[in-house]
Amino acid sequence: MTSPAAPEDAALVRAVQATDDRAAFTQLVHRHQSAVRTVLRRLTRGDAGLADDLAQETFVLAWRNIRHFRFEAKFSTWIYRIAINAWRSEARRKRELLLDADEDSPIEEAAEDPPDIVSRMDLERALATLSDGERAAIAACYYADLSHEEAAQALGIPVGTVKTHVLRGKAKLRARLAAKEET
Amino acid sequence: MSDIERLLRHDARIELPDDGFATRVIGALPARAAPQPRTWLRPALVMGSALLGSALAVTLSPQAASMMQGFQDLMSLRTGSSGAIGGLAMCGALLLSGLVLALNDD
Repeated sequence: MTSPAAPEDAALVRAVQATDDRAAFTQLVHRHQSAVRTVLRRLTRGDAGLADDLAQETFVLAWRNIRHFRFEAKFSTWIYRIAINAWRSEARRKRELLLDADEDSPIEEAAEDPPDIVSRMDLERALATLSDGERAAIAACYYADLSHEEAAQALGIPVGTVKTHVLRGKAKLRARLAAKEET
Repeated sequence: MSDIERLLRHDARIELPDDGFATRVIGALPARAAPQPRTWLRPALVMGSALLGSALAVTLSPQAASMMQGFQDLMSLRTGSSGAIGGLAMCGALLLSGLVLALNDD
């Protein structure tokens, strides 16, 4: 968390842009490592090793390209986009990534809300059962805190598809977690 | 906010311990954040090849004599001849393309 006396992200970015200030970049890494690694863990179905490799690649790419950062968005939004791109490239290397594949099945309606106490592991397992597109949309919108429009841009799919994926993904999660509670 | 949204947001906010991650990242950084942008390189290459092409065209074309005469006219400030106007137009086009390239920042 950022303490009140800590410099804003923008000030740290300017220091890196101006003088390749490694200390400033280190602060940015410390500040954003947890969020970036969490987003990537969710995207990689909980593969912590792969997620950390991609997170490292993300920060190295950010370092290389930080001069192109123009403060049109928050630094966090920019770095999440880099992270999502790194994941997409990795996933494409391994197999066909179907981000915009839309299922014909109707969105599942869960009769009940998920239980109040859900372990992180249960949520991680439930997220891993979603399709690539649904998981990516949920990770972008709820973990990376991107708007639907920003998520669509980062994932390279239409905004409507992002919204559908989010709705469908949440419905599936609700159903999976409710079922988990019954067993 | 629905319960599932609350769960997701809560999960997103849980802090992961650094566990040496930042040290590994900093150790993997290349020497410089990015190479100094060489904004002059592309315009220089394009302008250089355009100039070379123009020079070859002027030298090898049947109109070479009148173009050379045009440049001589320009040197002596006689800008009304057709050769001088052609030379001026060529210089203007080259200057304009150079400016466009120099201002093209991507």
